[in-house]
Amino acid sequence: MSISGGSGGAGGGSVGRGMSWCSTTSVSSSGKRIQKEMSEFGAYPPEDCSAGPKGDNLYQWIAAIIGPSGSPYEGAIFFLDITFPTDYPFKPPKVMFKTRIYHCNVDLDGNISLDILKDSWRPTLTISKVLVAIKSMFTEPDPYNPAVPNVAYLYLEDRAKHDKIASEWTMRFAT
Amino acid sequence: MDSPLQSVNDAAAAAAAAVEAAEEQDRTLDLASVDPVEENDEAFLCCICLELLYKPIVLACGHISCFWCTHRAMNGFGKSYCPICRCPYRHFPSICQMLHFLLLKMYPVAYRVREKQMLEEEKKAGFFSPQFKENLTSSNSCEESDVLVSPSTSSISGSQNVPASCTFSAAICFPDITESLDNASTSTLGQNGAENVEADRNMAAEVRHNFTNGDHKDKTCVPICTTDLQCIACSELLFRPVVLNCGHVYCESCIFRQVDEQFRCQLCESPHPKGLLNVCLELDRFLEEHFSKEYATRREAIRLQHIDSQQSAAQGRSCFENPFSSAKCSLQLSDLGRNIHLGVGCDYCGMFPIIGERHKCKDCEELIGFDLCGECYNSCSKRPGRFNQQHKPEHKFELVRARGYPRIMLRLASESSEDGSFLVLSDDATEDPEDGQAGHSISDDVLENSESTNSTT
Repeated sequence: MSISGGSGGAGGGSVGRGMSWCSTTSVSSSGKRIQKEMSEFGAYPPEDCSAGPKGDNLYQWIAAIIGPSGSPYEGAIFFLDITFPTDYPFKPPKVMFKTRIYHCNVDLDGNISLDILKDSWRPTLTISKVLVAIKSMFTEPDPYNPAVPNVAYLYLEDRAKHDKIASEWTMRFAT
Repeated sequence: MDSPLQSVNDAAAAAAAAVEAAEEQDRTLDLASVDPVEENDEAFLCCICLELLYKPIVLACGHISCFWCTHRAMNGFGKSYCPICRCPYRHFPSICQMLHFLLLKMYPVAYRVREKQMLEEEKKAGFFSPQFKENLTSSNSCEESDVLVSPSTSSISGSQNVPASCTFSAAICFPDITESLDNASTSTLGQNGAENVEADRNMAAEVRHNFTNGDHKDKTCVPICTTDLQCIACSELLFRPVVLNCGHVYCESCIFRQVDEQFRCQLCESPHPKGLLNVCLELDRFLEEHFSKEYATRREAIRLQHIDSQQSAAQGRSCFENPFSSAKCSLQLSDLGRNIHLGVGCDYCGMFPIIGERHKCKDCEELIGFDLCGECYNSCSKRPGRFNQQHKPEHKFELVRARGYPRIMLRLASESSEDGSFLVLSDDATEDPEDGQAGHSISDDVLENSESTNSTT
């Protein structure tokens, strides 16, 4: 099981820039919410997903998703880094793939092009919903909103070849 | 994947663990404090903080969240979107007092625990949410004896001093924190949590003890009655409740009968901003579950009324909804686009950010920076403000102009800002290409306010 080190460390918690007009969001309120999510996640984890804080920092999580059957990613374990901003849940968490994956919505650095992690983020979304969304991305890639256009093109043009490469990458990096 | 707490070496990490433990404690306190009587089902949980709603605000789309959650979720640079349905809105509504007192009655312990937590947070931030006198629960003695009530009464007077009771409660927490600090180095998160649950049960018991001592014994078993959930217009049980921007609750049928150009609340005379007004389904479901019999009779009565006046109601409804198309909203923005006061809201109508004239009160100093919009200034309204300000007639106001910044500044800001708050603004501008300047103005307030908050935090 090799996890690419990559440039995943970029997602530091450097939020709280001076542009917000009032910093009424205290660290404790976001921490409370994350803790609440953690216990809820422990009680009702989504299928084939797990997540939790890396160490003693509540804002740095690591998650794992098992590739769903019927996809080229079947059975492999994909690790993700989750960084919560201090004004979570009003800003989306940063989610990065730590395991390399051949997928049109995940670039080489592990960045995910998923609308709910960007513009469509809502404070009512939780990390378990995000993980479910990422899991569904395995079976239904969105080639019209790609992070890697080449892969998206191949996915649309030659699905069989795309799936073959994807399962090769999965064998190589994620199992 | 619950990774265990690593052994904590340096003091800073230990302190962080203590904070976490304290937060964990706060969280479990809620769980522990929920009586069997107060079994809190999924209803009335804020879906932003995932806790019991505290000072609930109902948006025009009918979705409820806490006062602070709503405020934080709003975008001070342009249109805000409902955190649940992403329905756009521009006004920060008032707290729905009816719901506030309902929750206080239904979950007396849990709600007061929330109140205490929030007060501590507010104290840290220096901003206070509006406080209500307990006119419904109506006991003076409890305000003197009950530890949990006194903070609210002391901040009614607007003082920003730390109420004695809060330092008292902090003192209660402290032994727990230090205790868990010792444990943090050796025990796992799970064990820590278990210990905290134990400590929390004690604290919850204490809260409950205070609570029952303060003449609240009856209240825990007071059932909710229909008078708690009355429509302001028809004074009957609410049927398909809608909540106005001012926080007052009406039946949907009572609202649409008296439609005119600008809809005003009957009670407080404050206008409801143009926009949609949906039934608060969560409250509706609650009504249907708890008063199924009364609700059914109300439904029947209203159905009969509707048959009489179906046509007029239908007309009324359509004319109420028509002017609120998004085209109208963006038109409003483009008309006054140069004068957006970013991050500043109106105390009376709740417009956030203020578009148009802004009148800054020289006498009410408040960091959060809610002023008056032109319309509210001219109407000399006496309604309470969004954050405890009470602008009196003798207060002096100055007209503040939003200063326009060149477009390049905006672009730089939007590029450098991680959160992309500005992008929403530029979206607005692209909606109306005939007015390229729309929204491209940053008032100096933003910088001013951020500076002041930075210095306080």
